Amino acid sequence: MRWIFRKAALSLFTLFCAITINFFLYRMMPGNPVDMMIQQFLALGYSYEEALTRVSMALSFVPTAPLHEQYVSFLKGVLTGNLGYSIWLATPVATILGYGIPWTVFSVSISLVISFLLGIVLGMHMAYRRGSIIDKVLSFYSSITTAMPQNILGFFMIWVFAIQLKWLPASGPYSGVDPRVFNLDFVISVLRHAVLPILTYVLTTVGGWILTMKSSTISVLGEYYVTAAEARGLKDRRIVTAYVGRNAMLPLFTRFAIALGFMFGGVLLIENLFLYPGIGRFLNQAVYARDYPLISGLFLITAVAVVAANFMADLLYSRLDPRIRFE
Amino acid sequence: MSSAAGGKEVLLSIRGLTVEFRVPRGILRAVDNLDLDVYSDEVLGLVGESGCGKSVLAHTILRIVDPNGRIASGKIIFGGRDILSMSKEELRRFRWKEIAIVFQGAFNSFNPVMRIFEHMVDTTLAHDENAKKDEILKRSKELMRMVRLDPEAVLERYPHELSGGMKQRAVAAMAMLLDPKLLILDEPFSALDVLTQKFFLKTLVDIRRETKKSMIFITHDLAQVAEIADRVAVMYGGVIVEAASVEDIFYRPRHPYTRALLKAVPSIVGSVDELKPLPGPLPDPVNPPPGCEFHPRCPHRVEICSRVRPNLERVDDVSLVACHRWRELN
Repeated sequence: MRWIFRKAALSLFTLFCAITINFFLYRMMPGNPVDMMIQQFLALGYSYEEALTRVSMALSFVPTAPLHEQYVSFLKGVLTGNLGYSIWLATPVATILGYGIPWTVFSVSISLVISFLLGIVLGMHMAYRRGSIIDKVLSFYSSITTAMPQNILGFFMIWVFAIQLKWLPASGPYSGVDPRVFNLDFVISVLRHAVLPILTYVLTTVGGWILTMKSSTISVLGEYYVTAAEARGLKDRRIVTAYVGRNAMLPLFTRFAIALGFMFGGVLLIENLFLYPGIGRFLNQAVYARDYPLISGLFLITAVAVVAANFMADLLYSRLDPRIRFE
Repeated sequence: MSSAAGGKEVLLSIRGLTVEFRVPRGILRAVDNLDLDVYSDEVLGLVGESGCGKSVLAHTILRIVDPNGRIASGKIIFGGRDILSMSKEELRRFRWKEIAIVFQGAFNSFNPVMRIFEHMVDTTLAHDENAKKDEILKRSKELMRMVRLDPEAVLERYPHELSGGMKQRAVAAMAMLLDPKLLILDEPFSALDVLTQKFFLKTLVDIRRETKKSMIFITHDLAQVAEIADRVAVMYGGVIVEAASVEDIFYRPRHPYTRALLKAVPSIVGSVDELKPLPGPLPDPVNPPPGCEFHPRCPHRVEICSRVRPNLERVDDVSLVACHRWRELN
């Protein structure tokens, strides 16, 4: 149990560092963003005092106070959930995060699980049938798609499925339904709108899983314990799952956890292309609007996700591989 | 060979076995038209230099062949059935139940994410779906004690928690799980330190005495063979060149290769000067020499040796030798 606490403490420390860097980085950048925000308000005709008040409201700290006081009040804000106000949307950052996170979690977790499972099945199949047509085609496909920006395939999907075939909506999270009424129509609309983003995500990321799983399976197939299991007369299905699959998947779980952690940063292109109101979409807009409080909040949630995912990966891995158990 | 030489029953009969591998240089013939009998209730020591095809032969008996390998011809008869013509499912049910094998480097034989006992359960269930867990546990404990391991300390452990020697013993115990009629031990001591080797060999000799199990014991260490085997087959360049009782192999070797092999073993009393390493390398298995495989290194070679491959001739009830000149050289 002790190592779990140690891991948790380490994770919290990592998070603290990320938050600190997040604060100092944009307080100390050349062309100080806080000064620039004040300039923006001055340009709108506000007096300096008014501009300062507005910026202080947006930021959860007073920009004229000494730096360490600003930092303490910023930390207090993070701990109490006060992440400041978005300048662009004039809404608390926490509210925006609360709105965007579910959309990203919903679409990305489905995509990730599909991509992961598909990659494992196909990668193993290719490892068993090296040199077959399927192996060659999928290897080629994987090399191409892992090198391709996601929005190129996304454009293609929109053109085929939304414009030519008119099967699916091209953008947005839902349409023609009242989001305040949670009923079957709403669910169907949400699912239909999620198909293309999910498909694009799966098609562009599955290649990475396929190639990793293939090489991992090939190395496990060369292990003595697989030959030994065959010599003991075990059934093929048992060998494929419990001996080859189980061991070949171990290195992929780490990758899975990392991908889970990067879910908020990794779908920027897709969410923007499909105008999907997740974290990636807000991040893109916030950067264009120079909305620093919002950018800061989005970075914070990304850092939390990465740290949490790594912590979960450590816990999970020690469950899956007895050699990694610490006690 | 008669089916009941020396009054013993033939358990395993290999005839004309050829195993080939595709390598970049061409076709490598690891086992070349080989004949061999194993009798019931005997321990057959199979000796030869590294690369002579011992392990390939051992694996082929259970039809475990590398993807780039191929059993080109031959028959392996066991209990009236040809192993090489069994269907996939027949073969699966045959493996381990009738013949079990302890691999070289057996300590890698365990799945790293499974406890030792789970391996026992897996193996038993593969052959008997109705086996009960407590019976498997009882049997496993019995076997662990037989290989001098503490059942409580081993069965619930993961492979990485055991030492190399313990894993080797656990594999040997697992090999006896289904009480096979024949046990193949392919250099079971490789990568173990000398003391562990010695202790394990003694255990195997005890097990042999207790269970009367037939074994093929593969090694390049003649001293080990002397301790455990009843009969010895000497392999060279993919064929058996001599097979005889342990006494005959050590005191009346007939084939020039067997003699050379014995001279290459250091003795605790003799001086190092008496050691005579064998000149020259093993024959190239991709381009084997014509005639007798051993003739390029043989001090007694004559003209016929480079033309005609000698047959494995019967010398007496037990002994066989493949040499054109065995009569005159004795």
